[in-house]
Amino acid sequence: MSRVLYTAANPPARSAWEAINPMRMIGELSETRYWMYLLLLPSALLITAVVLYPTLYGIQLSFREMRLNRPALGTDWVLFKHYARMLADPIFWTALRNTAVWVTSSIALEFTVGLIAALALNRNLPGTKVLAVLILVPYFLPNVVAGHMWALMLDPRLGVINDLLVKTGLLTGYKAWFADPSTAMAAAIIVEAWHSFPFFTLLIMAGLKGIPTDLYKAADIDGAGPFAQLRLITLPMLKTIIAAAVILRVIGLVNSPDLLLILTNGGPGRATQVLSLYAFQTAYKDFNFGYAGALSVVMFILLMGFAWAYIRLSKVNQD
Amino acid sequence: MATLSIKGVRKSFGSVEVLKNIDIELEDGGFLVLLGPSGCGKSTLLSIIAGLEPGSGGDIVIGERNVNNVHPKDRNIAMVFQSYALYPTMAVRRNIGFGLEMRKVEAKERDAAVQRAAELLQIEHLLDRKPGQLSGGQRQRVAMGRAIVRDPDLFLFDEPLSNLDAKLRVEMRTEIKRLHDRLGTSVVYVTHDQIEAMTLGTKVAVMKGGVIQQLADPQTIYEKPANMFVAGFIGSPTMNFLAGTLEQMDGALALRHGGATLALPGLEQDAQAFIGKQVVAGIRPETFYPGQGQGTLSGTVDVVEPTGPDTMVILNVGGQLLTARLGSRGRPKLGDTMTLGVDTAAINLFDPESGNRI
Repeated sequence: MSRVLYTAANPPARSAWEAINPMRMIGELSETRYWMYLLLLPSALLITAVVLYPTLYGIQLSFREMRLNRPALGTDWVLFKHYARMLADPIFWTALRNTAVWVTSSIALEFTVGLIAALALNRNLPGTKVLAVLILVPYFLPNVVAGHMWALMLDPRLGVINDLLVKTGLLTGYKAWFADPSTAMAAAIIVEAWHSFPFFTLLIMAGLKGIPTDLYKAADIDGAGPFAQLRLITLPMLKTIIAAAVILRVIGLVNSPDLLLILTNGGPGRATQVLSLYAFQTAYKDFNFGYAGALSVVMFILLMGFAWAYIRLSKVNQD
Repeated sequence: MATLSIKGVRKSFGSVEVLKNIDIELEDGGFLVLLGPSGCGKSTLLSIIAGLEPGSGGDIVIGERNVNNVHPKDRNIAMVFQSYALYPTMAVRRNIGFGLEMRKVEAKERDAAVQRAAELLQIEHLLDRKPGQLSGGQRQRVAMGRAIVRDPDLFLFDEPLSNLDAKLRVEMRTEIKRLHDRLGTSVVYVTHDQIEAMTLGTKVAVMKGGVIQQLADPQTIYEKPANMFVAGFIGSPTMNFLAGTLEQMDGALALRHGGATLALPGLEQDAQAFIGKQVVAGIRPETFYPGQGQGTLSGTVDVVEPTGPDTMVILNVGGQLLTARLGSRGRPKLGDTMTLGVDTAAINLFDPESGNRI
């Protein structure tokens, strides 16, 4: 019997089945560089379907006419018509200004209260474990529930808060907080801060657990007081967490109109009209999807710009 | 520089007493090592000295000043932590100068002090780095720099070398000793490593269960341990304990263990009261030597462990295993019968009931 020497130049002959065996074909494919794209394909398809397509659809909508209550106008491309209209739209500018006030004030308040609560709860005093759970309760409430609850509590006739303020002499008469343009925004901000400060508490507490206690002992010996320790050790060490929390909250606040929708619906007048609410009303009250799309695109660009600038300024990436 | 007096210090966590009536006096410029196994209370005692934790009783006096109610920053102490406790977000320069910065020392003066400390520890080139960019040994140096920059009355070291690898640990140990010789500041040093205690300390307090077992200079602790715990804790390999009956033989004392008898001429201890009673003889491995001697023990070779300079021989003497540290020459074979002489003057006798040295 003669022995055959198989080499690369002289491979063994394949049987007919071998040539179409799917397992063999997959095996060979897995050795090529296309394999990685094949593995990425399911996630890529999913992301395209649920993220990329809706985003691109929204963007193209902003360049088209689409008013559901005036079908005669058609759905033609209008290029930058909506954007040009936006520049001349006083409501847009009011909403933009209100959004800035709404977001910065709410976050400043939420962060401050959240930080104080986290620092207090981190002291491991008796009862703090129970309090740590209780303090999260507002965050568990859906916005709609929290909104209605506060609307009732701040109600000029039935509300318990007015009652308490009048009885303690802090207020002379019952006040309609959401009906007065000078107090509507502030009242809404307080409700929002009450609802969302536990988000900061939760994240900051997690961050505090990661700071070694030896640092505070060393700082004690070095002569740093509580405020210096907070400023020079705690806050710098929480920088990444704070940056992430602020970005998430800003995105949440800019994008969700629900709380203001329930509390004020943008009023009185336009005192609490914000961009997300304006876009929502434009789409679902005026049925002007083209203009609402343009408003959404502007919000999207503003948020991208904010996140980029904030990460750069807070130097999170440098450590 | 200052003296340190620890007078009757106690500490309880609830009903658990972790420090029981601790009394220590440290001379000016002395190096006190608190040595003991985990949970013996040594770190708690250090925290009380630092003021990071309140004591349940007793006094801490640094120099002439009772500091019981003085904040850590006002005790004029500096501390090096096991974790180094460097501020991660600050560069080395600011880390070292942080204590001065908090004391509102002018920037110019502060920089000069930091520079001096950095030169002393040879870390000038690291001043602008963040702690995260340093190796373990470099962090250790920065932590020491932070301690010496303020020129304190007292240095406190809490197991500062535990996180270093073996080679670096030896280097830094030498460094700490050199620094102490140079600066002359009093030191309290916590460790569970007996070699660190023996090499660094001018005074060693061996602790167990919140009680000081022995407070003495390292040589005394090694040669005349106060009890069997200290005897067993200090020395590697550990001291051999040979139990037996103490007898009078030919005008001298002897220990009878099973069939073997170990003559004890030249024993320094007064053990007359224990004649006829059970005692435990503590024999350091290095007090054995091959051949006959004042006292002699015979047994079969159980294990031979060559370490390079020495050969450790574990000998079975009447059912009890004894470790002998012999020179590198001549390796006995397993199962051989071996006769070893003992330097009987170096033997310590203990009362088996109390565990104390007779």
